[in-house]
Amino acid sequence: MTEKKKHSVFIEGPITSAFIADSISKHSKKTTIGGHDIFLGQVRNDIIDNKTVVAIDYSTYNEMAEQKLHEIREAAFANYNLVCMHIYHSLGTVKAGEICLFVFVSSIHRKDAFDACHEIVEQIKADVPIWGKEIFEDASHVWKENKS
Amino acid sequence: MEINLLAFGQLAEITGKAELRILDVKNTNELNQKLIEQYPKLVAFNYLLAVNKKIVQGNTSLNDKDTVALLPPFSGG
Repeated sequence: MTEKKKHSVFIEGPITSAFIADSISKHSKKTTIGGHDIFLGQVRNDIIDNKTVVAIDYSTYNEMAEQKLHEIREAAFANYNLVCMHIYHSLGTVKAGEICLFVFVSSIHRKDAFDACHEIVEQIKADVPIWGKEIFEDASHVWKENKS
Repeated sequence: MEINLLAFGQLAEITGKAELRILDVKNTNELNQKLIEQYPKLVAFNYLLAVNKKIVQGNTSLNDKDTVALLPPFSGG
């Protein structure tokens, strides 16, 4: 049984540990699952030119991002034997130490979950139009750029 | 001939607006040229263009009512 149901990827503000715990518990009825792999992206307090990042303000090109995420999702189901997968990404302000990305992949055996999760995270970083504005303590900012 | 231009991230700071109307550009080369004349700071920027949500490489012809997005380097996740 594969689940390809679409839900909204974007969440306003940080992804809470309660939300993550709730997502995990929702899978207890899916008893064909043998393993989950979870990736959590956390906002880091980088120091840039002696100033410390206190938060990232995320924005997106929503229509294009939804389309890209749909393609990533379809490719993951086509290439790996997955039971289900979920992607959540924050928009707006996420403070250092808070979670901004939650990728949750479930499969019958662990290898598919490990491999798919890794690939999905890399694709989100490289191909989805999301931008992070790094905010410093003094409210000035720089625009983040993902490293490959 | 009118296209709808969307600017994101740092590029929206340079254009000062997230959405603009651009008149009389037949292709993406003409659009880039027009944008650089209007916003000289863009010369120093590395950005991609998406025409109707699809990233395009090289010169691409534009049609009336197309939506073109200026995409700075992505930084999600």
